[in-house]
Amino acid sequence: MNVTLEVSALSKTYGSGEQAVHAVRNAAFSTQPGEFVAVVGPSGSGKTTLLAMIGGLLRPTAGAIVVNGRDIAGLGRGEQAAYRRDTVGYVFQANNLLPFLTARENLLVMAKITRANGKTAGARADRLLAELGLERRANAVATELSGGEKQRVAIGRALMNDLALVLVDEPTASLDSARGRQVVLSLIAEVKQRGKLGLMVTHDMDMAMLADRILSMHDGEMTEIAKPSPAAG
Amino acid sequence: MIDFNREAVLLLRSAGAVAGSRRLIGLLEIRRRKLQFVLIALIVTLISYLVLMINGLGVGLNEQAGSALKNFNADAIAYSERAGLSVIRSELSAELVDEISQRFGAESSAPLGYVAANYATDDGEIDSAAFLGFEPGTIGAPKVVDGRPLTSDDRDGLLVDSSFLRYSGLDVGDTVRVSIRLVERDFLIVGETDEGNFFFQPAVYLLRSSWQELKYGSSGPDLPAASIMLLKGKDAAGSGGEGWTAVNKSTAFANIEGVSGQQSTVQALQLFGFLIGGLVIGVFFYVLTLQKIGQIGVLKAVGASSFFVFRQVLVQVLAISIVGVAIAAPLAWATNRLLQQVPNPVPIAFTTSTFVGTSALLVLMAAVGAAFSGRQVAKVDPIIALGQQQ
Repeated sequence: MNVTLEVSALSKTYGSGEQAVHAVRNAAFSTQPGEFVAVVGPSGSGKTTLLAMIGGLLRPTAGAIVVNGRDIAGLGRGEQAAYRRDTVGYVFQANNLLPFLTARENLLVMAKITRANGKTAGARADRLLAELGLERRANAVATELSGGEKQRVAIGRALMNDLALVLVDEPTASLDSARGRQVVLSLIAEVKQRGKLGLMVTHDMDMAMLADRILSMHDGEMTEIAKPSPAAG
Repeated sequence: MIDFNREAVLLLRSAGAVAGSRRLIGLLEIRRRKLQFVLIALIVTLISYLVLMINGLGVGLNEQAGSALKNFNADAIAYSERAGLSVIRSELSAELVDEISQRFGAESSAPLGYVAANYATDDGEIDSAAFLGFEPGTIGAPKVVDGRPLTSDDRDGLLVDSSFLRYSGLDVGDTVRVSIRLVERDFLIVGETDEGNFFFQPAVYLLRSSWQELKYGSSGPDLPAASIMLLKGKDAAGSGGEGWTAVNKSTAFANIEGVSGQQSTVQALQLFGFLIGGLVIGVFFYVLTLQKIGQIGVLKAVGASSFFVFRQVLVQVLAISIVGVAIAAPLAWATNRLLQQVPNPVPIAFTTSTFVGTSALLVLMAAVGAAFSGRQVAKVDPIIALGQQQ
């Protein structure tokens, strides 16, 4: 896939005048194909806003988000929806599964949206569920799943359509550390093998350390944290 | 390590699971949330039932007003000029009847007399009926469904509508006492017809000469020969001459005393039935959509277009409203059958067009309600997916 992302002078301001809240200020970074980047920072620092802008859910106040040479910052609603459908696999912090569907059907929703072939989609959903350790829970309705199982189904849904950008917001919040580490390593492997781009928002520095790079957000401003070398660790 | 890109092809699950993957999300939701959707379908069923019954009542009242007139084997009705299109006031002399008959031909015209008279039911109660005097062998003769037709010799014979038999408790072969003013006369029921009512009363057919005797106390050339004339022919409606005028059957029906007031009442009932029924169904589905805004936001956040989401809403609306109407229609039909068994039946009648038209309109109203939901769907911002908690 060889996905590239270039973010420059990206800002998001809510409100105006004295009421203005600068959620993201002049953020800038770029990535190489196959990179997995962690974004860390305290609550309210602008991490999720940054992810939502890159994911086509929020329109920036200023700046550019160039994905594979195309600036998506100024897309209209319809174009944004098409961008999300064709480019972005998003794992929300609150897994946001459709509660009346089974784990398997929650994955197949993605195939319905893109009108993918039913047989191929069914096989891919089964494979993803098996790889996420959910094979036996495939036909359980979302409301019957535990928090961790829901989070893994949400990850499967984000990977279902094999999209270029994998954006994950606190993917390990509902998982124990061993399972969380396994899931993040799996996401990293997926990104690297397919030349995608992974962007993970997390509070967990142990998980962030698994990424290629770590970006830190504080009061909307972004800095890059130098990762300690393996030898130093 | 989990390998998401393993190329090994897993065996497909059962064929049913594959078929399930093709099913619309909207229908899957109905399947999984049975209780919620059963309750909604129940509301739609009750509203559809109410609207169908109101429309059935409209048709029934219409039939009671004068289905016999509509069933006349004629294209037009001729009245005496001064009657103002009133069958009650219209009286045609023998000369006028001859003149009209010669103009349209004996096979395309027939004199008909009308008078309202009382009769005694089998339990001695007095009720009234519309007595229509006709000439056997003309287009004025009704179709007989049981018994035999009247002949020119049946001066004391009657053909009665099936509703007359039902109300009176009498049967073909029975004698019925008919009274008008101070005159009483016994008639023999020789046959049954199925032409319906005339002037809100069961139609009873007798010979024209007997009608003259009933109405005027005797028969003869000096007395009015008929109330109206039935006419056939392309040019019959709108024709006229000195002392008479002819109109088509629809105009004649609309001029039956009381019909126009009744029609406007029934039409107002039907209109409000549709409006209120359609509005309730539409608002119901609109509220249902509002309740799902969170889910809609999630679907849009993962790339679903507004059209994709609207399709799910629409399929639910159509499925529920079709099921509701499909239950309501036989229910209304069965209620009608039941009501016809009681001694004084409620005038409800259903035709295929009533069922099909009303049902289609109700489903359409539900779809219009869904269209308003569509506007709401289009307005949902996918960003709300970030705030959704499971």
